[in-house]
Amino acid sequence: MKRRLSSISLNIITSIFCIATVLPFVWMLSSSFKSNIEISALEQYFFPRGFTLQNYVNVLAGFDFMRYFINSLVYAFLITVITVYTSTVSGFVLAKYEFRGRELLFSCILMTMMVPGTVTIIPRYSIMQFLGWLDTYKALVLPGAFTAFGIFMMRQACYAIPDEMLEAARIDGANEFYIFHRIVFPLLHNSIITIIIFQFLWAWDDYLWPYLVIRTSSKYLLPIALNLFNGRYSTDYGGLFAATSISIMPVVILYMFFQNQFIEGVSSSSLKG
Amino acid sequence: MQGHHRGKKVLRNSSEVALRSIAVFLMSVFFLLFFAVPIGIAFIGSFHQWNPLKQQFDFLGMRNWNRIFANGLFWHSMKNTFVFAMIAVFFRVILGLILAHVLHSKLIKHKSVYRTLYYLPTITPMVAVAFVWKFIFDPRIGLLNRLLNSDINWLYDGRYALAAMLILTIWKDFGYAVVILLGGLYSLPTECFEAAEIDGANSWQRFTRLTLPLLRPMVLFVIIVSLISYFQAYIPVMVLTQGGPGTQTYLVTYLIYKEAFSKYNFGYASALSFIVFVFIAILTAVTFKISGKNVPF
Amino acid sequence: MKVKKALVMTFLLTFMLSFTICNNTLAQEMPSDLIGNIIQYDPSVPLNNGEDITVELWYWTGAANLFESLATKYMAIHPNVTIRLVENPWDDYWTKLPLALQGSDGPAIFNIHNSHHENLIGYLAPYDIPVGDLEAEFTGVSGHLIDGKIYYTDYGLMTGTVYYNTDMWAAAGLTKADIPTTWDEFREVAKRLTIRKDGKLIQAGYSYNGGIQGDVLGMNYQYGQNLFTWDNKISLNNDAMNMVIQRLKDMYEKDGVCDYNFGNNAGDNFGQGLVAMYLGWGFMTNVFGQNFPNTPFECFEIPTPTNDIPYAFHRYNGESTFGVNKNAPADQQSIAQDIILFFLANDAIQKEFCLVNAVFPMKVTLQDDDELLSIPSVAILKDHIDRYIWPGPMPSTVEDNIKIALENIFYNNEDITKALTMAEKAINEDLEYSDFTSQEPMYKYASEAKK
Repeated sequence: MKRRLSSISLNIITSIFCIATVLPFVWMLSSSFKSNIEISALEQYFFPRGFTLQNYVNVLAGFDFMRYFINSLVYAFLITVITVYTSTVSGFVLAKYEFRGRELLFSCILMTMMVPGTVTIIPRYSIMQFLGWLDTYKALVLPGAFTAFGIFMMRQACYAIPDEMLEAARIDGANEFYIFHRIVFPLLHNSIITIIIFQFLWAWDDYLWPYLVIRTSSKYLLPIALNLFNGRYSTDYGGLFAATSISIMPVVILYMFFQNQFIEGVSSSSLKG
Repeated sequence: MQGHHRGKKVLRNSSEVALRSIAVFLMSVFFLLFFAVPIGIAFIGSFHQWNPLKQQFDFLGMRNWNRIFANGLFWHSMKNTFVFAMIAVFFRVILGLILAHVLHSKLIKHKSVYRTLYYLPTITPMVAVAFVWKFIFDPRIGLLNRLLNSDINWLYDGRYALAAMLILTIWKDFGYAVVILLGGLYSLPTECFEAAEIDGANSWQRFTRLTLPLLRPMVLFVIIVSLISYFQAYIPVMVLTQGGPGTQTYLVTYLIYKEAFSKYNFGYASALSFIVFVFIAILTAVTFKISGKNVPF
Repeated sequence: MKVKKALVMTFLLTFMLSFTICNNTLAQEMPSDLIGNIIQYDPSVPLNNGEDITVELWYWTGAANLFESLATKYMAIHPNVTIRLVENPWDDYWTKLPLALQGSDGPAIFNIHNSHHENLIGYLAPYDIPVGDLEAEFTGVSGHLIDGKIYYTDYGLMTGTVYYNTDMWAAAGLTKADIPTTWDEFREVAKRLTIRKDGKLIQAGYSYNGGIQGDVLGMNYQYGQNLFTWDNKISLNNDAMNMVIQRLKDMYEKDGVCDYNFGNNAGDNFGQGLVAMYLGWGFMTNVFGQNFPNTPFECFEIPTPTNDIPYAFHRYNGESTFGVNKNAPADQQSIAQDIILFFLANDAIQKEFCLVNAVFPMKVTLQDDDELLSIPSVAILKDHIDRYIWPGPMPSTVEDNIKIALENIFYNNEDITKALTMAEKAINEDLEYSDFTSQEPMYKYASEAKK
């Protein structure tokens, strides 16, 4: 009985949050099928009265949506693969090896997160200009190769791995590269998936830096294209909502896909306390 | 669980040295080139009348720094930022913990649906989300006033504008904490939870005695990352209120953004940034100190 | 040795051959009629020795068709020139463009807005067109002269006008004869257009919710008060500004024609049919047309304190002509100069740009154009066009701070004098670091200003 009661109350909590979370989102999706006239109209209805696909037609016809979409996909994929690996190695080294300057290095990395990016983005641009990397994929990908967030997160996750486990492997004669790739990496399974989700999302959402360093419009990323809806005088709300609805689909799919990985991973992960 | 053993004899074989050296070298080069150098340039810039767009870099001495402390808007923005960040961090962590705990429980069905839905706001780009919320907060046609049957001008009433920004921020971000903490929970040994359940511990006891202590490194991570990012929040201000009405919702990073990208006063913006930096660094250090372990600085 | 010689020979041959072929096609296909009056464009002059060349043209989002149309027309005359159009988001264009202009690979030609004058002027090459020709054919050129040279000027002019809902106007029993010319008349009309039901406002006679900073900065001129002093400092806390703001406040608080919680965006609220009159800039004509096509509206000129012609009705701002990148390679620059000549000489293109942006044409030959004068917000400017003043490319701090002051006055109940004093101080602090020079002394009736 008690169990039943708490089950019901828990389900109510989750559902309430669910509704609060989803409502604005559904509103956006539903508005993407409205005309701009209806979106701003005085008489508001949650669902479209004059259902229209015009916004989607405009998005797909108005600019080279598929090209930007693929550009973004490739960019987000590259950044994600690179940062997942660099974060894991760095986190592992910072958590599990003792060496002089370790705390200092970590503190410095953490501190780079604390200076507002607003004032460092232009100097970083100047460095790219100096290196002659503007309008190349290098300028897009390399400055994102390491992230303080990822390193910090992986360092925290590595603390959960018992030293005894690594010691045992060492006694069996495994070298550190083997230990990292074959023991630590699989153990970090959950955290890695979390990082994949975040990193992909950030790369997918990344706007100002890609816009500044990329000159050729055929190399533009999706968020730049989305920003074109926000005009000088007025915003094409319908177009923006439609384009956003399409653009978040890959992230939703990616997330749902990794959801299952998430849960399956739990049972296979052999971490014993 | 928090076991990293200090003072213990360290195994040194060649492969460890190699892996360590490669990682440390790459990290150092990367952070030096893409962070230390730009930060250094910005720091030097803070002593200059610096507008990189017209290649202006004239020495000013301490003028930018002195201007900050005499600027009422700066102190006002700092106060707002502090209130904003504390409330936002609190809700993000608390909601994250509660919902992660609930979703980890065996009593909930359709977990993956919930997880996906909670995460929807986080994955939706801020530009679109902000416009959606602008409509929701509209005093005439907005959804929120209709749901609450109220007549509040959310974005233009000084009493509510900051609250409106917090609502958007919490809505957008709590899913992030849920995902991280849930990931942390799944990494924990399931035996502990099973044993606790057999021992007859109720949900609350399991939460306080097991979940919280075991999740400590991840909670610490969420708190610090949130603290750092909320102290630098400006996009909600930019898209919802532009700091208004008047300057009631100015956050300090919005002030920095305005100085840099509206007035192109990068020197002054840099000086402001370093003050924010010191403030965040102190708060982070304090958080690490309170939590007791893995202290940087 | 032999190989080298052969190579040189082949090269020379190809060169000569291509040259003659080009010349032939040019002679056959190119129309030889001159375009334009004083500024003339000769389409038959070959460019870049007939060799292929590509120039980039950057513009901000909003009117892609307009630029495509210009590029298509130009490339039809010069098949060897390719104009690569690059569309940019409005906001961050102003960061990216100056950075890109620092190198030699920036766009050769680009769209300009005078609010970003300071960051761009250092990268601009002066126009090749003689200044005298420009002045003869375009209004307002003198305000853009720098050391006797023109780096960009305006093709169109925009300002604030009153939009009114004609249905509501008729429903209130008003006719054309009731169109107000003074602020007192305006207030009376606004009261008649206001509808309350059980004490609750349901139709606002006039609303400025969501910001009127762009118009408060300008209504001071109606009292002969300039915005800037002789030493380029701003003057806000003066009688004129106090009167302007007090009047706006009184319309809400005394006349009750609207209230501060009646919507957040007067423009949208006008389109939604909640507001009867709205003071907006010319671009709103197109916004209404696109987003609220069912709202019938007309325009009238901004009212003034008395029926006498004021020092100036309002300030205006120009839509700028293109800029040429002085760091671009010489061949690209000369194409860019040629595009500008083509753009300015061609009345059809000038008209197209003015129509799409709903701006009053600066080109003298178009100022009586029937089609342009059929745009309501353009037509009403015709009679007093010389009584609109341009204060110069004001840095963003001016509008930002007046916005803060007005919100403090309207929403936070701050004292007008106190708010204006604070704004004045903040703006002047920023102007100290700026090269801004007021163009008010260049105004035709500058001598009438209050001393």
